[in-house]
Amino acid sequence: MTEDNKVKNTRVAFVDKIWGVFTSLKLVITLLLVLSVLSVIGTVIEQNKPIQQYYNLFKPETVDLFAKLGLLDMYHSWWFTACLALLALNIIACTMERYPFIMRGMKKQGFVLDEKIEAGLTNVATLKYHLETETVESRITSIVGKNFSARPVVTEAENARHFFYEKGRYTRLAFFLTHLSVLVIFIGAIAGSLFGFKGYVNINEGELVSGVETRRGDHKRFNFSVKCNSFQVDFYPNGAPKDYRSDLSVIRDGKEVARKTIRVNDPLDFEGISFYQSSYGKLPEAVTLEIKDKEGLSLGTVSAPFGRQVDIPGGAQIELLDFRDHFHLSDGSEAGPVYGVNIYSRGAPPGGIWISETRPDMNRYGTYSFVLKGAKFRNYTGLQVNKDPGVWLVWTGCIMLVAGIMMAFFMSHKKFWIRIGKDKKGRVEVTAGGTTNKNKHAFASEVERMVGSFREGSS
Amino acid sequence: MTNSLLFGISIFVYFFSMVLYVSYLAFRSETLGKVATGTLLAGVIIETAAILLRWYESYQLGIGRAPLTNLYESLVFFAWTIAIVYLLMERKFKIKTAGAFVTPFPFIIMAYASLNPNEIQPLVPALQSNWLISHVVTCFVGYAAFAVSFGVSFLYLFKVKSEKGPAKNPGGLLNYLPASDLLDEVGYKTIAIGFPLLTIGIITGAFWANVAWGTYWSWDPKETWSLIVWLIYAAYLHARITKGWRGKKAAVLSIVGFSATIFCYLGVNLLLSGLHSYGG
Repeated sequence: MTEDNKVKNTRVAFVDKIWGVFTSLKLVITLLLVLSVLSVIGTVIEQNKPIQQYYNLFKPETVDLFAKLGLLDMYHSWWFTACLALLALNIIACTMERYPFIMRGMKKQGFVLDEKIEAGLTNVATLKYHLETETVESRITSIVGKNFSARPVVTEAENARHFFYEKGRYTRLAFFLTHLSVLVIFIGAIAGSLFGFKGYVNINEGELVSGVETRRGDHKRFNFSVKCNSFQVDFYPNGAPKDYRSDLSVIRDGKEVARKTIRVNDPLDFEGISFYQSSYGKLPEAVTLEIKDKEGLSLGTVSAPFGRQVDIPGGAQIELLDFRDHFHLSDGSEAGPVYGVNIYSRGAPPGGIWISETRPDMNRYGTYSFVLKGAKFRNYTGLQVNKDPGVWLVWTGCIMLVAGIMMAFFMSHKKFWIRIGKDKKGRVEVTAGGTTNKNKHAFASEVERMVGSFREGSS
Repeated sequence: MTNSLLFGISIFVYFFSMVLYVSYLAFRSETLGKVATGTLLAGVIIETAAILLRWYESYQLGIGRAPLTNLYESLVFFAWTIAIVYLLMERKFKIKTAGAFVTPFPFIIMAYASLNPNEIQPLVPALQSNWLISHVVTCFVGYAAFAVSFGVSFLYLFKVKSEKGPAKNPGGLLNYLPASDLLDEVGYKTIAIGFPLLTIGIITGAFWANVAWGTYWSWDPKETWSLIVWLIYAAYLHARITKGWRGKKAAVLSIVGFSATIFCYLGVNLLLSGLHSYGG
């Protein structure tokens, strides 16, 4: 052996070894169990929460360690992805390994019940009849026809007629369906994350948006605008929410090109972008405030529209900037709805306060105090906005998976042979038997029943 | 409410059927066995009536929804499916002695359900979907099949121990149990029913989530745990089909799988937070 050949052989041995690892059942089982254990960890340590929440639960060193290991967003960590990639490689390798065997099983062959095939059958019956061959043949084929709907392949050979029946040959492909389905789902998911986006947008009633902030922090512009005509929420008598709905219009070049009232479970789809009813809220359009001085004397009343600075008596400006429906004070008590207002006094940096309806003691700033006189609201709807060009692949994979599992568990490839000839005494001799690739017990009793019905008239 | 009366009766009937199955195991009288099966069947019929009545009553209250939407309703449905899957298995495989190991489930689950609030509540918007029924039914029938496999696997471990030891006491209890091969086979067959159903359950759930929230998979604890359960049974099936794992190893994996199933169903709701917080 030359030196070159040696190297080549060790290389081949190495490749064989790797191939062996990737097609081994051990790897499959290990991967499935490792993935499940990792997933358990991901549910015990809550994922993708604000970092503060982890500091409340664990020691700072522990949080740092978790963050370094990727345990706070583990389903997107390199090692979890690596496990999924290994699983994909494993599936590809096993599919390639199995391919020739499955295709061999798919071949249409062995139409003649010869000795070789007969030896491989588990339940062979031989029956003899003092009848015409045609009578026996028509009787038997009509019995078998009830179990095997497809026409048999009839061959004349070895002085006999051979009938070959077959059912469910394509169920041998179940292996490809179930295993490739997982790859199809993976590809769909990857396509979705590469070419799609997920975002969230609030739209005030009567206003429109033409883009969205994605979860990754980019700004995606649509080539159309979405307008929220109105938002409504209904409640049950017990106060639980019953229905959220937003009347949305899609507007392009100033014209309405689509319109739909969306609800939870009923989104708007337009050119591959979907808008889901996700949340809602209200924002004040304007508040009316009475302004008092240190002694509690009224200085007058002003109306402050949202996001605009207005003058107040005493030479300062106020601006309404924020609103909370349920405000929690630092002591945990509830202060009801509050309005976030900035106050700009001359010669001082701007300062902000929350003006409360129920807790007027909060409504002080410097020498000023404020009394809430009224507010005008506008609803906004909160929409989840998605584009996922991979989702149809995911559903295709799911259908393949279910179809494959059904075929694998509940269907099998059944073959049944009948040979009709004459024995030495001139009687009609029938030999019949079958095989299947799965659920052999059930098929054996099916064959037994069929052969049982053949017996009528036999001798 | 009349549906709760019927549910109450079915708890008692399940209790008696459990007692009868255990007595059957102890006394091995064929009559007792028949009465046990009959009682379990009666429990199922009464509970079916209770579920249908609850459905009807929800319409009378002007709510009108399938009774599958909170912890109470999912528990009673779970008990119902376990009883039915077991009855079918008993009929097909003639494994009446396994009843003593499976019938405690419907009883215990129903008793636990009765501790939970059972008013008929209207549905929050997220649950108002045609996917609700197919998602919940496939998941729970799958869970029930796993429960039956668990009971049978447990029995298998008992039985196989006795078969390995010296043949003592030929009239003894363990000799009366079904042959370990049959138990092994039933343990597998039930998983072969449960696994496709769980698969469909997860997929319908993903499809529904995509319609409601725009994400088919968000690694929410419930989703993740259902995947864990799926992975464990997938491992079981691979080991069994390709490597011929049978007997003890298979039985242990079936028991692990069902423990994960129970955690997925109850543990996630009780201990972890997430999208399924409304129960079920």
